[in-house]
Amino acid sequence: MDKVIGIDLGTTNSCVAIVENGIPTVIPNRGGYKTTPSMVAVTEAGKRLVGHIAKRQAITNAENTVYAAKRLIGRKWNSPQVKNSVATSSYRIVQGPHNDVRIVLREKEYSVPEVSAMVLQEMKLIAEDYLGAEVGKAVITVPAYFNDNQRQATKDAGEIAGLDVIRIINEPTAAALSYGFGKNVEKTIAVYDFGGGTFDISILEIGSSGVFKVIATAGDTFLGGEDVDARVIDWLVQGFREEHGMDLRQDRMALQRLKDAAEKAKCELSTVRETEVNLPFIISSGRNEALHLQRTIDRQTLEGLSNDLVERTIDICRQTLADARLEKEDIEEVLLVGGMTRMPKIQLAVAEFFEREPCKGVHPDESVALGAGIQGSALVGDKHDMVLLDVTPHALGIMTQGGYFEELIPQNTTVPTHRTKIFTTSRDNQTAVKIVVMQGESERAEEDELLGEFILTGLRRAQKGTVEIEVNFEINADGIVSVHAKDLETSKEQSIEVTASSGLTRDEIRDMMEGAKDYMVERRTTEEFEAAKQEAERFVGEIERLLPQVEQIVAASDFGRDAIDKARSIVTKARSAIAKRDIATVKGEIEGLSRTHRMFKGVVAKTH
Amino acid sequence: MTDKPSKTSDTPSPDSPDDAGANERPTINPPFDLEAFARAASSPSDQPGATSDAPTNRPPAPHWDPEFGPEARTARISLTSEVEQERARALSGRKPVRTVTSSVLSIANARASSSPHVAPVDPAAGGPGEAASSIEAAVRDAIGESSPPEITERTIDDPVAEMRERFSLGDYTGALEMSELILAEDPDHVDATECGENCRTVLENMYAARLGPLERVPTVLVPRAQMRWLSMDHRAGFVLSLIDGSSSVDMILDVSGMPKLDALRILHELVQQKIVSFR
Repeated sequence: MDKVIGIDLGTTNSCVAIVENGIPTVIPNRGGYKTTPSMVAVTEAGKRLVGHIAKRQAITNAENTVYAAKRLIGRKWNSPQVKNSVATSSYRIVQGPHNDVRIVLREKEYSVPEVSAMVLQEMKLIAEDYLGAEVGKAVITVPAYFNDNQRQATKDAGEIAGLDVIRIINEPTAAALSYGFGKNVEKTIAVYDFGGGTFDISILEIGSSGVFKVIATAGDTFLGGEDVDARVIDWLVQGFREEHGMDLRQDRMALQRLKDAAEKAKCELSTVRETEVNLPFIISSGRNEALHLQRTIDRQTLEGLSNDLVERTIDICRQTLADARLEKEDIEEVLLVGGMTRMPKIQLAVAEFFEREPCKGVHPDESVALGAGIQGSALVGDKHDMVLLDVTPHALGIMTQGGYFEELIPQNTTVPTHRTKIFTTSRDNQTAVKIVVMQGESERAEEDELLGEFILTGLRRAQKGTVEIEVNFEINADGIVSVHAKDLETSKEQSIEVTASSGLTRDEIRDMMEGAKDYMVERRTTEEFEAAKQEAERFVGEIERLLPQVEQIVAASDFGRDAIDKARSIVTKARSAIAKRDIATVKGEIEGLSRTHRMFKGVVAKTH
Repeated sequence: MTDKPSKTSDTPSPDSPDDAGANERPTINPPFDLEAFARAASSPSDQPGATSDAPTNRPPAPHWDPEFGPEARTARISLTSEVEQERARALSGRKPVRTVTSSVLSIANARASSSPHVAPVDPAAGGPGEAASSIEAAVRDAIGESSPPEITERTIDDPVAEMRERFSLGDYTGALEMSELILAEDPDHVDATECGENCRTVLENMYAARLGPLERVPTVLVPRAQMRWLSMDHRAGFVLSLIDGSSSVDMILDVSGMPKLDALRILHELVQQKIVSFR
């Protein structure tokens, strides 16, 4: 049976999980961490860095480090979120050839799915290292509010990374799956997800037979733990300025250290009452000496610094419940997701708002990936009781007179499906109608996402409201939306097929896949060479250490000189192969080096 | 010594001891080549005239001192290791220098800007100097701990020739500094660009060789609480902060965000001073 991994592709951190022997497990990365920063950087030397290593140089190499690419994925260049990112990001964001978004790193343009693919590729590698086998299939999570284009872009990112994305599921649904794993629950739950870069609140209805309905979802894509870190940084910078009259923000190295220390202090304050920030030699005094930063921060200070941010999340929760016409009492369980929910102040605020203690049964960092892993396992396994039904993430419809959105297929409708509605002309003697296909929940069409448009011509000249046009929406099993418009009197018809687009063409995706494959081959080869080199160098070192003793011991014998010469020759060959980075020869010489080392050790041991 | 201008005795350094030996020390005044001087100071028998002929007052305009001019200086540079030169440069960078205007190139200025200062301190000994190299000790002997040299500038008539000469003599750091100065005035200078790149490559290889395999993982030997008693600049402090016991030298170079050569040089200094070691 194929192994399917579940990936939580987060705005700031990503996580990969798998179901092993029926137990959902998060896979740690090489550093032992269960989450990996969703960051990609390119160094001055052109080397690609992904994860923790990219994060550690994010400020000192800010122009070439991409973070929060998820805020841009599948979005059009002129969307407000992109404009916001362009204004606030340290890396360059430019317009792509298909009105999409591109990111510039070291003068090279990358599409957003390409950047996300680098993170996904890293998660794939983590899983492959752990499993010792190649992984092909994945379930990836996305926020519940992602539209079809954003979902398709995430799918494309998976494809570029060499993954067959068998399902895209909503993050709150994945958290709920993880919560409901092994239980038979039918509840209305709230998923309060406060991560590093975004805040989301979702209300879900968990029904029998695997139906997880997202009743309402809202959030703020520019509100997260990083904002709290920024407050701590401000506090530290201000204190340092008062003490030394120097602005730490002027020095990138100082700022990088501050950022790391602020995040660390914030995390520590979830478990201890106070902690010390100690950064020796943080900045030059300008008199050939360096100054130190040493301050103690307590939980109360942190809470004071972040109080308004927590309040903002509660305001969003309040609004979401109101929009969904739900009362607090309707919520039977509250799940806390995202690293920020470890903060006691947040737990308290959530408990106070929902008037119930949040559930402690889900891991804030891991539950989404675990849910994706559970879903992946169910999709390829025999147990289909947990298989989620594919639903439309947003309502589909057309724009009508006055700029209103008329819904044809409601949100959360299981696919495949089709719906038909009759419309009439809005003007006298109207001979053509424009069908504007939209996706979203807003009554105002301008606030929804435009999917496509077409014109039905040749209508009979008549008074307004008399010519009837039948509009039919159909979504097939692959999620492709077809819209037909038919003049019922003349049977003239026009149609459009709307396929979600990430902004990339098939050729571009193919090229990017090739690029990703080449990168993987190169990386694997480098790793293989480094491993072989280390082993060979270890033997060479040992042989050279023993050589003088062995020379002395075997000097009198007839065969001694010959053996020494052979040993020297093997060492020389190995050194030469290492210098030439000739992996095959290095690997080939390891056996000879090992034999020589054993022999030398034996000779020395016998004489002692 | 007997021809010492009376001016010298009239204006003694306030911190200089007034014993006979101290009187033979030069009152360091430019034109000044710290390395050449350091070498001269550390082997007085070989260079008898080096100290006594040093001028005692700042001359009206910088010029090449015949004793410490390019020939004398470069002939000795080839005998000095890059590390020693680095130390001497670090020392030379402790005094601020005037900003250079026009096309006059300032050696002192170049050194001050490109030399990360990581001066050794032995906390047990209570101050710097215990782990100092012989060259550094000699310099201190010569100039006295409390009266550091007044660094000024010297002009170079033909910086390109100077750069080439330094390169040919193996003074790669010096040649790199010259190339940077030339490029600051003429960013498209082909020779300077090429020479700078070559110097960087050689120096990177040199420091990398001294550090050993770059896959090795460095660890900090000094307890965190005692770190602030060390003497180092903020750049070295930053590199030190990147050493977490699990990142290899290679990874540290990647995340340092500074030129590879600078990061290697700082790491090397930290290892030399036994602040950092390898597992």
